[in-house]
Amino acid sequence: MRHLILATLSTVALFAATTMATMGAANASAGGDVFAAKGCADCHYTQGPAREKTIDDQLAKKGPELWYAGSKFQKDWLGKWLTDPKPIRPMKFGSLTVENPADHPKLSGGDVAAVTDFLMGLTSADVAAGKVKPKKNPKGRQIFSKKMPCSGCHQYVGRKKKIMGGRSGPSLVEAGVRLNPDWILAYLQKPKVFKPVKMMPVFVGLLSDKDMLNVSRYVANFKPKKKKK
Amino acid sequence: MRHLFLIAVAIILASQLTIASAKASGAEQVYKFYCAQCHGLTGKGDGPNVTKDFPVSPRNFTNAAEMNKLSDADMRNVIMDGGPSASKSPMMPPWGKTLTDAEVNGLIKHLRTLCQCKGKQG
Ligand code: HEC
Ligand code: HEC
Ligand code: HEC
Repeated sequence: MRHLILATLSTVALFAATTMATMGAANASAGGDVFAAKGCADCHYTQGPAREKTIDDQLAKKGPELWYAGSKFQKDWLGKWLTDPKPIRPMKFGSLTVENPADHPKLSGGDVAAVTDFLMGLTSADVAAGKVKPKKNPKGRQIFSKKMPCSGCHQYVGRKKKIMGGRSGPSLVEAGVRLNPDWILAYLQKPKVFKPVKMMPVFVGLLSDKDMLNVSRYVANFKPKKKKK
Repeated sequence: MRHLFLIAVAIILASQLTIASAKASGAEQVYKFYCAQCHGLTGKGDGPNVTKDFPVSPRNFTNAAEMNKLSDADMRNVIMDGGPSASKSPMMPPWGKTLTDAEVNGLIKHLRTLCQCKGKQG
């Protein structure tokens, strides 16, 4: 009798697990369909490895590549952003003169979860998990705003909660809720994998692994201002 | 037949022209992609990164008097190793790991066309 119960329980558990897994996969594949149907693929490519070889290739893109989206973003942030896409890059994508027009297509209803699952399934084996624990640290801060010109190209929250910094790179004001901390480190360490051609300098050989870890932990700790209630 | 020949010649000429102009625009494109974000598209030091709180003004490359103080070798150093290598601000990034030698040579020539100056010799 006891065996029977155990057997039934484990079958039920197994069944539940497989349905959940297939549902997840089904949702992700539905998400892939939505992604194609909504024209997202006109501006974003979702299959790696990186395709850009020249400046022309990089400038021809209409939106950032998403083939490693699942390694780059935090899932909660992604779902929210797809429903309410606020500008990330201060300037229009690929432009130095025009402001970001804040006109990214929005998703709603069931499409949001499906596309989120689809994008979170696009991962890169080049991101090691569990390396970067977000933390404010003086060494990271020193690199970010004094030793290296990071703050010259990226917005961040400075003293008195003021948004400071340069405008040519993606804003890092929300880096701590938007980006996977481990991806930040991988991005600095493996520029060829993620961004073979970009306006940001290569820091490999200029910053030690330790420095890269410290600055990644520092950036991964950036959180947007809490709204006053 | 004669037409065909003319067309062929025209095509060859046209393709060579585009190759030539692609080469000529190389250094300018490299400049606009990497440097203009701070130094500005026309070199006046007014790129989109230069806001009120940018700590130092990026060099204005159209200022011949200032640019004449730098030799080509000075420029190469600061481009490769960044501001601190020349006791300048770290806001001038080190590009040595990003750009090829040929790209840096092209940039130096391009900066000389922006300032219309020869620079300190030696
Ligand atoms: C007309 C081109 C275009 C289309 C169509 C488009 N996007 Fe985008 N997408 C962009 C641009 C440009 C950005 C950068 C926006 C910013 O920085 O504010 C972006 C950013 C993103 C990002 C954040 C990426 C990053 O690295 O910051 C995601 C995720 C995304 N898009 C998903 C989608 C989805 C899903 C769709 C379809 C519903 C879609 N996009 C349709 C151009 C497009
Ligand atoms: C000269 C300008 C410049 C400097 C200096 C610079 N960055 Fe960047 N950074 C960029 C640009 C531009 C991008 C976007 C590249 C792209 O997507 O093509 C970027 C991308 C990033 C990203 C990924 C953001 C995203 O959402 O895709 C991170 C993280 C980052 N930079 C951190 C740093 C750190 C840390 C430093 C200093 C060690 C630094 N950057 C220095 C211009 C710069
Ligand atoms: C993140 C912003 C930024 C970017 C990008 C940048 N620079 Fe600069 N650059 C500066 C600043 C700031 C100065 C002035 C430093 C000072 O006066 O202390 C400067 C100064 C210079 C100087 C003069 C140095 C001297 O000794 O007076 C040269 C030459 C130069 N930059 C070349 C370049 C080139 C070439 C590129 C592109 C490959 C480039 N810069 C990209 C910010 C930048």
